[in-house]
Amino acid sequence: MDVKLTINGEEKSASVPPETTLLRLLREEFNLTGAKIGCDVGDCGACTVIVDGIATNSCLMLAGQVQGRSIETIEGLANMDDYHPLQKNFEDLGSLQCGFCGPGIILSAKQLLDDNPDPNKEEIQDALAGNLCRCTGYTKIVEAVADAAREMRGNREAA
Amino acid sequence: MDENVKTAEREVTLERLREIDDDLRLPAVPEQVSYPIETLIPEARTQTPAVGQRASRPDGRLHGLGQTKYIDDLSFPGMIHAKIKRAGISKARVKNIDVSEAEKMPGVMATLVGSEIPVNSFGPSYQDQPVMVNGTVFHAGDPVAAVAATTEQLALDALDKIKIDYEPLEAVYDPIEAMKDNAPQVHEGESNIYSSKVIQKGDVEQGFEASHRIYENTFSTQMVEHVPMEPHASIADWDGNGRVTLHSSLGRITLGRADIARTLNMPINRIRVIATVVGGNFGGKNEITTEPILALLSKKTGRPVKGVYTREDEFMSSTTRHPFIMDYKTGMSKDGKILARKVRLVCDGGAYCSWSETTLGKACILSAGPYNIENLYVEAYAVYTNKTMTGAMRGFGAPQVCFAYESQMDDMAHDLGIDPLDIRRMNAFHEGSASPTGQVLESVVVRDSLEMAAERFGWQDWNK
Ligand code: FES
Ligand code: FES
Repeated sequence: MDVKLTINGEEKSASVPPETTLLRLLREEFNLTGAKIGCDVGDCGACTVIVDGIATNSCLMLAGQVQGRSIETIEGLANMDDYHPLQKNFEDLGSLQCGFCGPGIILSAKQLLDDNPDPNKEEIQDALAGNLCRCTGYTKIVEAVADAAREMRGNREAA
Repeated sequence: MDENVKTAEREVTLERLREIDDDLRLPAVPEQVSYPIETLIPEARTQTPAVGQRASRPDGRLHGLGQTKYIDDLSFPGMIHAKIKRAGISKARVKNIDVSEAEKMPGVMATLVGSEIPVNSFGPSYQDQPVMVNGTVFHAGDPVAAVAATTEQLALDALDKIKIDYEPLEAVYDPIEAMKDNAPQVHEGESNIYSSKVIQKGDVEQGFEASHRIYENTFSTQMVEHVPMEPHASIADWDGNGRVTLHSSLGRITLGRADIARTLNMPINRIRVIATVVGGNFGGKNEITTEPILALLSKKTGRPVKGVYTREDEFMSSTTRHPFIMDYKTGMSKDGKILARKVRLVCDGGAYCSWSETTLGKACILSAGPYNIENLYVEAYAVYTNKTMTGAMRGFGAPQVCFAYESQMDDMAHDLGIDPLDIRRMNAFHEGSASPTGQVLESVVVRDSLEMAAERFGWQDWNK
């Protein structure tokens, strides 16, 4: 089966067996291993990527379903010059321990901040409800998202 | 050419080789560097300057960028994928395993069964765990066969083609039942109890006699899976020189290496274990799992073999926290002093010992709690059952007994009409207290900690 899609702004195509999930398409065909296989059944959120602006469990989506759509992965968040305020604040606060849940959480948070630049604590918790973290207890994760939101609002005002 | 000339030539080349080798070595006696002899040792109870400082994790940036490479993010040229068939039955004799249909499938490169493992047993205390079932199944998560195929999906499909004939045997699941004389034996032997410990201090019977009231309760805790976000994963590469390299999510690589050497019946220097960042361990990745299986599949196929647990594998076959059944009998004075305590711990170890011995010992010592108790008697048993095996998990038995003694403490405080904080303060260890096993304790801050905690979360208001 042939799939054509946009990943982090670049047009890509691949030929894969029909049972291939978007998660495996990204990891195996494009070597974008930032999205992780935590459960493969939609429970943990480690595989979260952004599909047409919506944070999605990529293990639950077949490659065939993303034909012509636009995907953002964790690898697309930073560039050579700068990295995303979320990534920066996660690092500064030490929000992640083993880090396995990180890419998924950051992408869920990114969708939140794209839609709502000034979320309160409940809204942040709600946006991350689909992402499990077994190491941290979430406190620093929620703080980092709030800090990133503040920083991004500041940047926008300055611009 | 006569013999002597040959030898002379050989010596010359050997000499030359030795020189080259010597050039690469560090001096046998390293240069002496004098370090200051007096190092700064902070006095007891003073904190090092590092405490209270902010530091960022060295791996934090790559985590956020999604660039940290866990085992499943690695791949090697020609790499194939292995999957494991689990028994799905908790006690049985395997009459026959037929892998021929699976082997015929396109894409399947090799299969492996228990009889092909050179030394089919391992374990940190007792070597009672087979790498793969050979004859008898001890719990439902036991691996019975493995398949290596060009893709993960093909390997999974091939598992369905493996035919296994089981003769079900009588199993036992309740540890209390398993301790009885006529219980079905999990492993061959006299008893399912494979480890026991006793701690005795003072005279409990006298202590009970002197008590104002005696409280008897039974507490139990359940089995808990670690659920690390990253499932167990390894990649084995058996090279042409008969050496095997294992990239693994193992947390204790030296111990793992010894177990791999044992099970593969290979000198340990031929085994190289490379550990990468682990995606959550919590004690559950302390032992080998499929490493020897992957190594043998790699030997059979001449390819690197990756094996990643499915979440189902993780729940069925990885280690868990020991369920405990805890009988507590505590004698109290009228004003809330603990006069005597008798504890009986039954640790349900599941099918294999793993770290049960260690867990039992720790639970035993800690079962009295951080309290001064003159008269104490603790007996503890680790028992086999036909359930998912237990192993190390954060605290090694400490959280289980803590749940029991603190729950009982609350009940007793309530019954005696004493404030729960006061009853703890009254009995808590102080500087110089002796632990149940006679260790004299230093730097004891349990009362300070209790008081500080109570103040910070507003115990007095909350208690109104
Ligand atoms: S891997 Fe997709 S939700 Fe867990
Ligand atoms: S940091 Fe380990 S799972 Fe979140």
